[in-house]
Amino acid sequence: MSTGDLFESSRAATSAMRAQAQRLRLISENIANADTPGYRRKTAPFEQVVEQGRPTNEVRLGPVQLSRAELDRVHAPGHPLADESGHFSGSNVDLVIEIADAREAQRSYEANLKLYEQTRQMSRSLLDLLRR
Amino acid sequence: MDVRTSLAAQGYAATRPAVGANAVPDGPAGALAATARDFAATVAEGEAVAKAAMVGQADPHALVQALAESQLAVETAVTVRDRVVEAYQEILRMQV
Repeated sequence: MSTGDLFESSRAATSAMRAQAQRLRLISENIANADTPGYRRKTAPFEQVVEQGRPTNEVRLGPVQLSRAELDRVHAPGHPLADESGHFSGSNVDLVIEIADAREAQRSYEANLKLYEQTRQMSRSLLDLLRR
Repeated sequence: MDVRTSLAAQGYAATRPAVGANAVPDGPAGALAATARDFAATVAEGEAVAKAAMVGQADPHALVQALAESQLAVETAVTVRDRVVEAYQEILRMQV
């Protein structure tokens, strides 16, 4: 029961869905902190899951990395964090990029969900052959 | 907090020798026994993940995956059983 190509593909799709959900969590953290002074944008790479030294077909999110891009300089002379020139460091989150990233995560999640549904339907139709 | 779905199966496999000491016969009977044990392991795995999800230790993806596998395993077992019973009744109805 535990082996077989259909099970393998449904597991791969599930791991990808989990990874996309984690990616979406990072994106919403970025958007939530878009106005936080000194906040650096979080990203995480995708990587293959390795079990017992052998790479599997599943995917997962790697360690979170902070963006090294220049922080946004905000001009606000009355702000408590402002320096002599009246500027302080904001976050380096670009909302347009985050929204595009979120949309991409959503599309990828949908693709994997579709594949999961198809895998399930295929195994069910195979089983239906026995019932006739 | 991510419960690996294979963890339950591994735990089950580790305790298996202590429970069933009988040697598995070769041939179709052995294959059938292995399939039945596989089935039991899949269902046990589904139950373990469902319990973990209820207390918030497994994410919904693992829950859906494990429950779908259990469901498919149960459906397979039920279908095979139906066919076996049907064949048996067919033999009983034979004129002698």
